[in-house]
Formats: sequence, C-alpha cells, structure tokens
Amino acid sequence: MDKIIPKIGIIIWNQGGRLSQAINLDALVKKFTKAKNVACCEIVEELWTTAFFDSLKNSAENKQVDRFLWIGRFTPYQMKYIKGPLAAAGLNPYLHEWMDLEDQGICLKETEPEIRAAKAATLIQMAIARTRLLEPLEPMELPASDAILIIGAGIAGLHAAESLSALGKRVYLVEKESGVGGKVALLSRFYPRICDPHCGLEFTLQKLGESDHVEFHTLSKVQALSGSPGNFMATVIKTPRFVSETKCNACGECLAVCPKEIPGLYPVSDNLKAIHPPIPMPFPPAFAIEREHCPPECRECEKICPAKAVDLNQMPSEEQIPIGAVLITTGWDLYPLSAVEEYGYGRFDNIISNLEMEQLLSSHGRRLTHPAKLSLSDLKEVGFIQCAGSRDERHLPYCSSVCCSATLKQILYFKELVPDASCYVFYQHIRTSGFDEDLYRKARELGNVTFVRERPAKVEHDNHQGKLNITVLDPLLDKKIHLNLDLLVLAGGMCPSGGSKETAQILNLPQNQYQFFESHLQCHPEESQRTGIYVGGSCREPMNVSQSIDSSHRSAMQALKYLEGTVRIEPTYPVVNKTKCDQCKRCMEECPFSSFVFDEKGFPTPDLARCRQCGNCMGICPLAVISLNNNTIKQLAVQIEAVNASFMGKNEPVILALLCENDAHKAARAAVDQGLPVPPNAIVIKVSCAGSVNNAIVADALSLGIDGILIAGCKDDQCHYIKGSQLVQKRSGDLSDKLKTMMIEPERVRFVNLEIRDAHKYVDVLNTYIKDLKGMGPNPFKI
Amino acid sequence: MSKEQPLDIHAIPTEVIETDLLIVGGGNAGCFAAIEAKKLKSELKVVIMEKAHISRSGATAAGMDAINTYIPPGKTPEDLVRWSRSQVGGGPLREDLALSNAQTLNGAVDDLASWGLPIIRDENGEPQYRGGWDISIHGEQLKPIMAEKAMEMGAEVYNRVVATNLLMDGDTCVGAMGFGVRDGKFYVFRAKAVIVSTGGACGLYKSYTSDATNSHHQTWMCPFNVGSGYAIGIRKGAEMTSFEQRWVATRTKDHCGPVDTISVGYKSNIINAKGERILEKHYAHLGGDKAPRYIRANAPMEEWLEGRGPTFADTTHLSPEEAKELKTDYLNERPSFVLFLASRGQDITKDPIEIYGSDPYVVGGHTGSGYWVEVNRMTTLPGLFGAGESAGGNPNKFVGGCAAEGKLAARGAVEYLGSVSLPDLDLQQVEQEKERVFAPLLRGAEFDGVSPLEMEERMQRLMDEYAGGTSQFYRTNEERLDYALKHLKMLQDQVKLLYAKDLHDLMSAHEAIDRLDVAEVLTHHLKFRRETRWKGWQTRSDYPDMDPKFDCFVESKRNKETGEIETFTRPYEQIVPGDRYQP
Amino acid sequence: MPPRVDKEKCDGCKAEEETLCEQVCPGDLMTLGENKKAYCRQPRDCWDCMSCTKICPVGAIETRMPYQLGYHGAKLIPMMGTDNITWTCVDIHGNVERFRYKNRVEPE
Repeated sequence: MDKIIPKIGIIIWNQGGRLSQAINLDALVKKFTKAKNVACCEIVEELWTTAFFDSLKNSAENKQVDRFLWIGRFTPYQMKYIKGPLAAAGLNPYLHEWMDLEDQGICLKETEPEIRAAKAATLIQMAIARTRLLEPLEPMELPASDAILIIGAGIAGLHAAESLSALGKRVYLVEKESGVGGKVALLSRFYPRICDPHCGLEFTLQKLGESDHVEFHTLSKVQALSGSPGNFMATVIKTPRFVSETKCNACGECLAVCPKEIPGLYPVSDNLKAIHPPIPMPFPPAFAIEREHCPPECRECEKICPAKAVDLNQMPSEEQIPIGAVLITTGWDLYPLSAVEEYGYGRFDNIISNLEMEQLLSSHGRRLTHPAKLSLSDLKEVGFIQCAGSRDERHLPYCSSVCCSATLKQILYFKELVPDASCYVFYQHIRTSGFDEDLYRKARELGNVTFVRERPAKVEHDNHQGKLNITVLDPLLDKKIHLNLDLLVLAGGMCPSGGSKETAQILNLPQNQYQFFESHLQCHPEESQRTGIYVGGSCREPMNVSQSIDSSHRSAMQALKYLEGTVRIEPTYPVVNKTKCDQCKRCMEECPFSSFVFDEKGFPTPDLARCRQCGNCMGICPLAVISLNNNTIKQLAVQIEAVNASFMGKNEPVILALLCENDAHKAARAAVDQGLPVPPNAIVIKVSCAGSVNNAIVADALSLGIDGILIAGCKDDQCHYIKGSQLVQKRSGDLSDKLKTMMIEPERVRFVNLEIRDAHKYVDVLNTYIKDLKGMGPNPFKI
Repeated sequence: MSKEQPLDIHAIPTEVIETDLLIVGGGNAGCFAAIEAKKLKSELKVVIMEKAHISRSGATAAGMDAINTYIPPGKTPEDLVRWSRSQVGGGPLREDLALSNAQTLNGAVDDLASWGLPIIRDENGEPQYRGGWDISIHGEQLKPIMAEKAMEMGAEVYNRVVATNLLMDGDTCVGAMGFGVRDGKFYVFRAKAVIVSTGGACGLYKSYTSDATNSHHQTWMCPFNVGSGYAIGIRKGAEMTSFEQRWVATRTKDHCGPVDTISVGYKSNIINAKGERILEKHYAHLGGDKAPRYIRANAPMEEWLEGRGPTFADTTHLSPEEAKELKTDYLNERPSFVLFLASRGQDITKDPIEIYGSDPYVVGGHTGSGYWVEVNRMTTLPGLFGAGESAGGNPNKFVGGCAAEGKLAARGAVEYLGSVSLPDLDLQQVEQEKERVFAPLLRGAEFDGVSPLEMEERMQRLMDEYAGGTSQFYRTNEERLDYALKHLKMLQDQVKLLYAKDLHDLMSAHEAIDRLDVAEVLTHHLKFRRETRWKGWQTRSDYPDMDPKFDCFVESKRNKETGEIETFTRPYEQIVPGDRYQP
Repeated sequence: MPPRVDKEKCDGCKAEEETLCEQVCPGDLMTLGENKKAYCRQPRDCWDCMSCTKICPVGAIETRMPYQLGYHGAKLIPMMGTDNITWTCVDIHGNVERFRYKNRVEPE
C-alpha cells in the first residue's frame, strides 16, 4: 500500500485585518511555509471571490494540494460553502481542517503580544499535525427495511400506525389482548369534549382496516428482537384464539349457545361468554375463546358456527418479522389500589377505581351483571378521592397529571346522567393544567358538587345499609364533615403496564426509577436509549390522550430514518484495531447504548446502525486501540505532541483543556465572544464527549510537560451520551491515583462540569486552576 | 482461573486442528516465521501454538534495549561470521548457518523498524552503534509489535496451549500435541510442517538466589522457557548439537540482569574488589576487554575464587546523563533492575554495579546449543524445522539473528510442505499422549507422590552440584557427571509419581519432565567433551586444557529402542577464510 | 517477585473470564481469586517483566522487589501513553527519577 504524502494548503483568512492586528501573520506564514508536508501557506483578506475559489479548485484538481487547513473564524454555513464546491472538484469533505485562533483567545488584547504569538504558533503547529493525518471518508449506506413494529395497539399505537401507513410504511401492530383499543377503549367519555372515545377509535380503525400496509397481530407478544436498527428481526408469538381470523365475520350466533359465563375485564365490567368478541374493542373482528373456561367436551360454538370459523385445535405459533424500527406504545396500568389500605379498595363493592367508574358510566341504560348490582340512577351520593396512592412516598411518589381532569370529566358526565346526584371531591390540589381549567370551572358551576381540600383519613362501611361513612376535616371551613356515600371513586395513578415491564426485560431496555422507559426527556423524549427502538405515549410517563398521540407521532417521525430502505451511517464511526485488541470487552460493557456485538472471531465490534458515535469506547479502551474516524487517538496524540509546553514562558503554567463539544466547548467559546478576561494559558481541544478522553492521551500530555489537564463535560445527569462524564471521572480518578504514586500532584488532572452558557464559570475554573498549578510549580516533566 | 478438574480421561475433550504450517512457540523467531510464511504464500494456513499469550510471551516479555547484531555499512556477512567465530574461541560453529543468518539479518531488523520499533538514530538518521555490531533500540513494545504483525498477516494463534510432544508418522514429524492450560482440552495439531521455536532452557540449574521468599525466578533468562522444544525433539530421536556449550554469563549480582549493556554500551570495565581491571590484567593475551564472551563470563568467578571479590562493572566514570541513559536502556529490557538499584538506594555513579556469574542455561541464541539443522533449518526429523534458539550450531544470534532464523525456517518449511500431504491421524498415538499428558492431573492433589516443585528443586540442586552449576563455579568432572546421570535417570523414573492439583500445576509438571530430558542430554554432552574449551560454559576439572581431538561438534541422539542417549561427533568445516581466533 | 494487587482498585476486570493481567502474564501466574480480585498465584515464580503492571486498566498492580534483593519502599511506576511510556522511579531515600521515551514510531 503506497503511503500518501500529504500536501497541505494553509489558508489564513485575515478578514480585513482582524488577525493581523493581533499577531504577526507574516512571521507565521514564513515559518509554516517551510513546515513538513505544507505545500503552500497564504494570507487571504477577501475570501468570497470567484477567483479565489477557482484557484483553490485548480490546486485540488492539479493535485498540488490534497487537503486544506483553514485558519480563521468560519461559521458552519461558511464551512459548507467551502466544502461543497471543492467536493465537486474532487476534494473529499473530510480533508478540511479548521482552526479558529480567535476561539482560543488570540485576539484578546489583555494577553501580551509574545504570548499571543507563541500560542498562535503552537496552535497552528497542532492543526498542521492533525491535518497531516486526515483521511478521505465516505458515508455508508446499509440496506434497511421499510417496516415498523408497534408494540401495543392502544390510542398511541393506533394513531402512529395510521400516520406511518399513510406514508407508505408497512406496520405490524402487536397487541396482547384479543382486540385493540387499550385503556382508552375502556373509557366512557374523554375530555375536553366529553365525547365517546369509541367514535374517534372507530374512525382510526376504519382507515387501518382499509390499509394494505397494516397487519394486526392480536393475542400476540414480542418474544425476542435481534439484528440492528434498519434490520431488526422480531420473534412474535401468538396464543391461539381458537377462531379463524379469516373466516369469522362476528355474526354472534355462538354467543347464544355458549353455556359458560366468565368475568369481564374489571369487576364492574359486564360478564362475558367463554367465546366472545375481541376486547376491549371488537377489532380485528374475529371472536376469541377463553379455552381454559370451556366445559369439557363442549363444542357448541363449533357446531353452530355458520362460517365454520371455530378451530378448537389451534396451536400457539411463532413468526419472524423483519423490521427497521420498533415503536413501543404499551401504555399504562392503574396503580393497584388495594395497597392504599386506608381507603378499603377491594374490601367493599362500592369502593371502585376511576377506571372502573368509566365502566360504570358506560353501563348507563343497560342491565348490569355486576355483583354489586349497582345501577347508576341509584347513586345519589358519590365521593371522589384524588391522589389516591399518588404523590405519596409509600406508593407512587409522582403526580399522574390526568386524574384531576379525569375525575372532573366523570362528574360532568355523571351529572348529565343523574342530575340530582351529589358529588364530593376530596383533594390535595386540583391540577387541571392548561385549558382543562375549564372542566374545573364547569364542575363548580354545576351545583351539588362540593370540593373538600382534605382527604378522608379512613373509610368505614355501614354493613346495615351498605353505605360508606366518611369523616373529613375541611381545612377551609375548619370543621368536620360527616358523609354517607353510595359510591366512592378512588382516582388512582398511572404506572407502567405489565406489558411495558415485560417488553423492557425482553428488549433489555433501561427503565427509570419509576420503571417507565428511561429516555432523555427534554431533548429526545422518544428515545429508549437503544437505537432504533422508540417509546411513545403513556408507557413513557403519565399523560392524557392528546399528549399520547403527539408523543407517539414524535417517535414515529424519528423512527422514519430506519424505514427508508437504507440507513445512512456517517463515516465518523469507531473502528476497533483487531490486531491489537485483547478482547477485554470494556468497550462493550461501557457503551452507553449497548452498541457493541461480537464478530465471528469473538472481537467486540460496533453495530454501526446502533452506534451514536459518541466516542466513549475510544475513551475506555485500556489499550487505546479504538478510534473514531476523523477523530482518532493518533490525531489527538499528534496535536498534543505539537504543543509547546513552555509557550507561556517560565513561570506560567500551560493547561490542556479537553472540552466536550456539546456544552463545555461552547461555554469556552462564549467566554471569548463575550470578551471575558480569559487567561491565555489554556490550549483547547474540542472532543465529542468528555467520555471519549482516553487515559493514554492524558498520559501523553503529562509526560510531555503540560502542567495541567482539564477535562470538562456535561453534568452527570445531563450528559448527551448518558454517562460519558461519569466514566471519564472514574478513569481520571484512577489516573490521578497513579500520579500520586509517581510523586506527581494528582490535581494535575482535573475534571469539571460546564454547562453551555457557563462562560463565567469557565474563566473562574481556569483562574483557579492556574493559581493551583502555580502553587504546585511546573510539571516535573517540563524540559 | 482453572476449570473444574475432570476425574475421567474420557471427559476431557480432544480438539483436532489441521494446518499447513504449525509453529510451536510464538516468540521472536516464531512470530517472524509466521509473518514470513504468510508473506511467501498468503493462502497457507499458519497456526502458532503458544503456552502463554503471544503479546508478551517468552524472553522478550519486558522488551529489549538493543539489537546485538546488525551489520554496519562497510562490513559484510562474512565479517560477522568471523567475529562470531572468534567470540566462541574459534568455534567450532556451523559457518553455513552463520552465513545464511548473517545474510538475512539486516532485513529482519529493518522489518522491525518498518513495523514501528524505535531504533535510536544519529543526526543523519542512521542507526547509532553502541558497540561494533550493536545498535540501541527502545524496545519496550518489541514483543507486542511482532505479535500484532503476526496477527495482521493472518496467523491463527492458539494462546495458552502447552506443547507436550510431536505427532509423528514413523520418523516424520506431522504435527504436535498438547493441552490448554485454561480450557483443559487436549489439542492435536496436524501439520504438513512444524517449526519449533520455543527458545532455550532455563531452570536446569539452581539459581543462587533461589529460596523460599519470592526470588526463585531471579534468572537472566526467561524462566518460562524450559526447553520443551528441545525435549519434544529429543524424545522422538532428533539429533542435538553442542549442548555442552552452555550459556553462562556475567550478570548483575543477585538481580541477575544483563550486563552487556553496561560493559559494552557504556564502556564499564570489570573490576575486582581491589579496583583492578580484571580483563586487562589477566586476560590481555586473549584480547582483554574484547576477549571472547566465556572469558568475560568466567572472569568474575575466578576473582571470587581467588579471594578478590566482590566484582563490579565500574560505572563510577559515568556522568549523570549517561547513568540516566543506561537506566533507560534497562527500562526497555529488564525494568526491575532500575527498581533493584532504587531499593538499594544505589547511585551507580558513586557505587559501581556488582556483577557475578549467572546460572548456566542452554540457549541456542547465544551459543550453539540446539537441534542439528540443515541450511534450510530442517532438523534430522523430516518435517521438523528449528528456528531461533531452538536451532543449534550458530552462536551469537541474539534478537536480530533469531528473527532472521524465523524467516529462514519459514522459507525452508514452506518449500518443504508444498509436496506434503497429511497422513491419517494415528489415533493410538493420540490416545497414548493424552493419557501421558493428563496423568498427573488425574492422579489428583491428594495423591501420595511427588509435586512438580519438588521434582524441579531436586533436579536443580543435582545439576548445580554435579553438573557444573554456580555453586561449583561451573566446574565438574567425570564422576560427578556420572552421578548426575544416575540420579537424573531415577528422577525420570519417578515422573510417574508426579501429581498436579490444577491445570497450571499440570503445566509445571510437564515443564519438570521436559527439563529432565534436556538435563540428561546436557549432562551427556558435558561428559563426552573431555576437555575444557570454553571455560565457564564448560569447565572440566579433570580435563582442564583444550584437546585438539575435540575440535569438532559433539552430537547426541536418543535411541528409540533403548531410550539411551548416544553421543558422537561431527567434523567442523571452515567456510569463511581467516584466522579462527581473530574477529 | 510479587506483583501486588490493590484490592480496592482491582475490579476483577468486571469479573470477566480472564482478567487482563491473567491474559498477559508470560508465566501464567496471575489469576482471579474467590473474592473476584486478581492475585499472583506464585510470587516466587514471577520474572518481573511488569507486563501485568503495564496492562492493568485501573492501575491496581504494583511491582515489588523481593526482600532478598532490595529494601522495602522503592517504587517503579510505568505510565502508558499512546506511543510512549513514562517511568517514575522512587528509591528508598525518596529520590525521584523520571524517564520518558517513545516505544512506537510510525510504521512505514
């Protein structure tokens, strides 16, 4: 393989004198024109002329120059305008290096001219060293699927399915129940319009039913997921429904002959027959049989079915489905209210949950088979306890944000049905946010709705009449209230559904402390921390219906990039040098996104579709054999080697500042832009994540005489790559311990948190560090 | 971490691997052989069988501070042979092997440089010579560099697999067998050609610092090289040469680290307690400071015997900068020496470095001990090639020379295997070897027998006292050698009582067995050469002078029927003209 | 020559099947103990090549001189850079000596 001899063209954009006012550019040009591998070095006052660009293109085409080093202040737009035309002339866009001297404080008047000159020289030296090692890079295109798997056919999943199928994507909806609809299908009404949710659901289902891009898999669960983003393979297992999905047309003849009644989904729900329409919504329409409840030898439904759709020999089946991305919309379950012992849920039939209240309200006009035989019109005194088991350290510590609005909606609808009923709301705070305030106002205006700002200490059952006795101290009226209620509704909170927890385990997804899917809430609420797997709706956190729909759409949008038939991989991905790798697998263990897999020989290798290119693997590798393309260990090492550790003169320490590009580096840049008195002692190198800093790099810097190494990254819980900051802190701690044994001050390696606008903090950090380093004296390795 | 020990031989899995070329021992020569073989024919399957991990296995584990032979501009391969010849007192040596090695030598070293090994260069970019033939390097990464290159070229490496015996088809070598010291499997490698490059044999003799606390392996030579490569050939009747030309050297006292660095690199004279320059004073007639190595090795010992010890390498003339450079050299090869000086609080510009003789080793890279090989490096067993320290007849190879050996052996082996097809696997041979290999482990830790450590210590003291070890100032005589042989035989007989408590112990057991076989051959060679040709390396108190009758090679071969070692001679042939005793 | 493992620092290489020191030792002397920490199974057999000391990712291993050979309290600490190595030597009197050199150059 022929070795490439680099030919660097250095362009110094003086921008009408900005740089030359601060430093002697001619001296620099003289020095660097002679440097190794430099083809030319020139100062340009006016950059944006056709003539100049033509000359650049010429040099590139004639191979006089094979890469450029741009010195000056260039915005990202300007960089694009330069790279574009030169790419057309055959120069790979990765063969450009940018060095902004101003960024490093060269133009700050407070700094002495000799220091500015020495610093500029060292910075350019560093940039040339890195430029020598640039390589042309091309993005990769991996083939990918155009299908998405949506787990959970509730409102969030169904709406996402509709939107995605309308875009031409194939959608596989996997649902564990026999029918779709989730919790919303159980509601009697939803707010703010107090309308029937089945209306909206039917609307969506009709579209889904007509689409030939959508496949429903009910009574199904995902058992395993293999592969990588763009190319997953899901294993879906289906429990038998014992009815053919193609033949059954839901005529219902079987219902009449089925001898067995079984309980419905909830205690207040209607009973079902063993053969029943899909629940919660009869879609897809084929009936299902709860076979374990069938009387032995009974085959009445099979006999009567006109379509011959009953198949009592159906077996569980398994299917492998190739997909590009996964969207999890597994929803929520109600907090088990029997745990809230003081309210007696589960002990008495007229203490129900808010979800069961929805069932009760849906039963209006029908004869109930409910054991309590409650009839809506009999309920004249109804109490609602808010925050039942929520905002409570013993149960759910958080607020589920919808229960107040839900309760008020229930009251508004209930009062439509039973206008003379009295309602009592026992609350801590009414949290009807946004326009939901309207529900609160309307409820109060109804009359016979009393709000008590205290929750009952306990609930007693009057066995004689079957009513509930409640005593509560109203703090606003400052007197005890005694009530005798027909029904008590506990507004329970939302917690992760069983399906969510199962899915988290099977797909190995991290969960937060409340066991909801762990995502980067503000900026990337759709993420599950595993590339290609998204979460939406209330499996992510408690939210109302319209928020669920919004949320799953956000996730669907993000998932689209894996459904385009190809996945584009930017070329700046990590590469493991397998001749040097000793398979210690620390990269695999520490990768925040679990992106490493084993190759055929057992070496860890990144799954390029999963990889986020954060560089933490590069940082953790004990042998420093992993490098990110265009950001290699070697490229960093030669920059450090080029640093003149004495550029500040005899008594001033030199600090190498490795700043993460997301936050810390921006803070440093802001400090310069704001004209703050940034001390010149720091040489700044931008890194992708603080976690990408390898101990070997720090060792290089220290052993070359640099007095102090500053590593700055985001705060622990804010790191864009989840734990990069934590990882580098632990490692640099180990290195500091080693420094102690080497009789070097451990404080010569320092880690700080810097947020994006911490410009002032950056200056303070530097000043403190400089003072400390002066106290320590120069690095013993300084020549 | 050892796995659960099986109680039944049938529970031990056997893995059979077929390959074109098998390299036993992934050290310097082994890695170079693999790289060269792949360079010659990239489609060949090349397997390295290594009992440790190739990244740091063998003698170059800590690194190297110099390449002792690199032909400078103006000198020729013949010049190198002449110098090598004079260093062993005029030979005998295999000048054909020496010449072919010298012709390949610089290429091998240049390879290392091109792979990233830092060679210390002068202002013109030329290697800096610290002696007539020695160049300095910063070789702390020498071994990893070679290992990575072997991996890059596509060699398949089986780390942590101990070689225990060759696989034979009659008298032809068709592979090797061994066991995994981590996975406890039995391995059978079927190969069209085998290169043995396991280094020399250390630990045949008791080290004088060997005691209960932590300094048992304070040897100059890598103590993990026990001569298994020799033993597996010996057992199948391969011819060995020049084992009596032991490598005994002047080394730092107690620490037993290299001294050439000091004496050659920093021109430190060897002095006795009186401050006299020994070599100048007593060995001027043999060249003084340029006297052959065995003279330099034995000189300090003579001073001790005469009551003029301790002896030192006089570093008191060094400037602080030179002292620091010297320590940097040590950090590249034997870093613990710097720690040794630090733990004595010793400033070498004020207190010279104490030196003494080392324990004797069989090291084909420094002396001519090893397999008798042809120019294509094939041993007397067809199919088996010797490389590096395993190949005998050519002293003064050192690191560069052993690298060159690897290349030469690879060339020989690749040419040979082109016309070879593998015979059927001899299952009986495999079963027999598997039983032999695992026998100590299957006896179990509670077995009332002999531990590998006991056997090793017994042999080491036997050799030390009777076969010319350090405590005897390297001297021996016929009766002592016969005594040694008698007891070595008894030890070999008691090998059937060895027990091992885990896989690591099993490796120690086989190391003890292999050392016994090597020690036996060595003792026969010492007995046969009834003269003293290289004092120190081979000192016969009963024949203190050189006898021209023995101006030849001493050879040995184990008789496959009787199991007896038969010794004989081969004539010396001078190829490079000139005075044999002058460089 | 016992390599000493600092049990606080050693993480047993996350209790992998083979710790890094175990993987590299030319004498098969390092291994993982019952407490999931590395240790040298046979200190008297160590040749002090210091491969374990260099490779430990958390710097938990220190090489010591056997007391037979040298007094207590001296230290030799290697620090691996990307293409260089830094050694710090502290003798029994507390004198510090530092060495730094390149151990790899650009391959051609």
